[in-house]
Amino acid sequence: MKEIIITNNPLVKEELEKIIEVEYYNTDYMEILKKVRDRIHKGHKLLTHPLSGSVKPNETPYKSIMVSMDKGDLDTDSLITIENSIHTAKKFIEDLKTPDWSEEILFDFQTIDLTLIKNAIK
Amino acid sequence: MNLELGNIFIKDVKFGEDTKVENGTLIVNKEELISLISEDEHLKSVDVELAKPGDSIRITPVKDVIEPRVKVDGPGGIFPGVLSKVDTVGTGKTNVLKGAAVVTTGKIVGFQEGIIDMTGPGADYTPFSKLNNVVLICEPKDDLKQHEHEKAVRMAGLKAARYFGEVAKDIKPDEVKSYESLPLLKSVEKYPELPKVAYVQMLQSQGLLHDTYVYGVDAKKTLSTLIGPTEIMDGAIISGNCVSACDKNTTYHHLNNPVIHDLFDKHGKEFNFVGMIITNENVYLADKERSSNWAAKLAEYLGVDGVIISQEGFGNPDTDLIMNCKKIEEKGIKTVIVTDEYAGRDGASQPLADADPKANAVVTGGNANEVIKLPPMDKIIGHIEPVDSIAGGFDGSLEKDGSIVVELQAITGATNELGFNKLSAKGY
Repeated sequence: MKEIIITNNPLVKEELEKIIEVEYYNTDYMEILKKVRDRIHKGHKLLTHPLSGSVKPNETPYKSIMVSMDKGDLDTDSLITIENSIHTAKKFIEDLKTPDWSEEILFDFQTIDLTLIKNAIK
Repeated sequence: MNLELGNIFIKDVKFGEDTKVENGTLIVNKEELISLISEDEHLKSVDVELAKPGDSIRITPVKDVIEPRVKVDGPGGIFPGVLSKVDTVGTGKTNVLKGAAVVTTGKIVGFQEGIIDMTGPGADYTPFSKLNNVVLICEPKDDLKQHEHEKAVRMAGLKAARYFGEVAKDIKPDEVKSYESLPLLKSVEKYPELPKVAYVQMLQSQGLLHDTYVYGVDAKKTLSTLIGPTEIMDGAIISGNCVSACDKNTTYHHLNNPVIHDLFDKHGKEFNFVGMIITNENVYLADKERSSNWAAKLAEYLGVDGVIISQEGFGNPDTDLIMNCKKIEEKGIKTVIVTDEYAGRDGASQPLADADPKANAVVTGGNANEVIKLPPMDKIIGHIEPVDSIAGGFDGSLEKDGSIVVELQAITGATNELGFNKLSAKGY
């Protein structure tokens, strides 16, 4: 099965686009979840869990999620998982916004996000 | 598989000439310990501090906590596949320095987590404030990559724990506890009238700072499998997981897994504890399906009436938890799940990122979003800067007087998902 990674993590784009299709967006965590939700409605299947990692949604600004390149009928399991994830992320972000991190910390978050998604490439 | 744990009670810790245990005091030769840990070429400097219950000390960021243990009798050594050969452990005799721990600190990433306060309101939330801690402060060589840094600090903690364990080898324990695990058919034969119960332990296995090792194998590369509960007591499972301080399982938690201990306590009385399954928590959804299928298949194969499932971590492991619960229930086996909650600061929101009507028996370790103010301490061991960027903290968390306003998730072990803590909730 061919896959696409949807991400706002520049390090994922840099490191992985040679080996896998990467769609990079200069946007925030929540927008990435929504872009993935829209893809699921178009029939793509969710391949990695949107809340990968224990780093909280209002902590890391980065998110990388893998979906299938192929489209089929709407996959309800994928839809339920992404909607639950959006609901959970909202709960965090509404309580407390993601801070303005230093460059050094941003790079650490990028590295963690990269290792999480890299482990899902088969 | 029978194991005797010999507890040697440690009531104090201090520096001295020789590392040894004397009348319940752990004496630490600081220089010898530093030189042992400094053997790792990845570390630029190593320092050692002591932190005892009641001390006005804040340790942060905490990477791991490890209890010193040593094999006295029986095959293998402590932390098999990592520090010892891969012999199967869990039988014979093991001595434990009960009341002592090695704590590792070091800023691996800029948002490194975990606070242990040795006194004050924060101390009530972490079990490690009650221990006599030897704290390793490990600073990396310049430009050391995060992966190598994590491994260096992980190994430093394990090596120090083994070093202290060795001095307990010839000491007569203050207390001996025996744990008996029979082969499945013999266990069923011995207690035919009792309901059969197994334990399913979920292990964090997603990537850097989110990993667990079983006999040295990265858990994300494993299939769900059977393991003897006494093997865990000899260090078959170690933690490389240091994100989400409140609900990560440190190596100390694994060694002292309270689900296993409680199951043994009631074994042969209320039920028959016949076995244990370990299963991972990977990011890839097909891995989650495979691992939960295997956990359910193994539970069915054991022929148990009920299982207890414990989780580790936040967010996507909720999906593994619900998959395990649902699939095991569908085999006609009753389940109880052990988790914690991110229910918002007011505690009113849906606490997990996944749910199912079959998950109708839940033990919670508390709400990690609850806010607490931690007063200043006289001494900080580690780095205080990450507190401003800690999970559950925020820009301005650290106040001028040194006090911190944080969510409970910043405190190591506060909402532990094995139940090794004091928080919970009851339904009436």
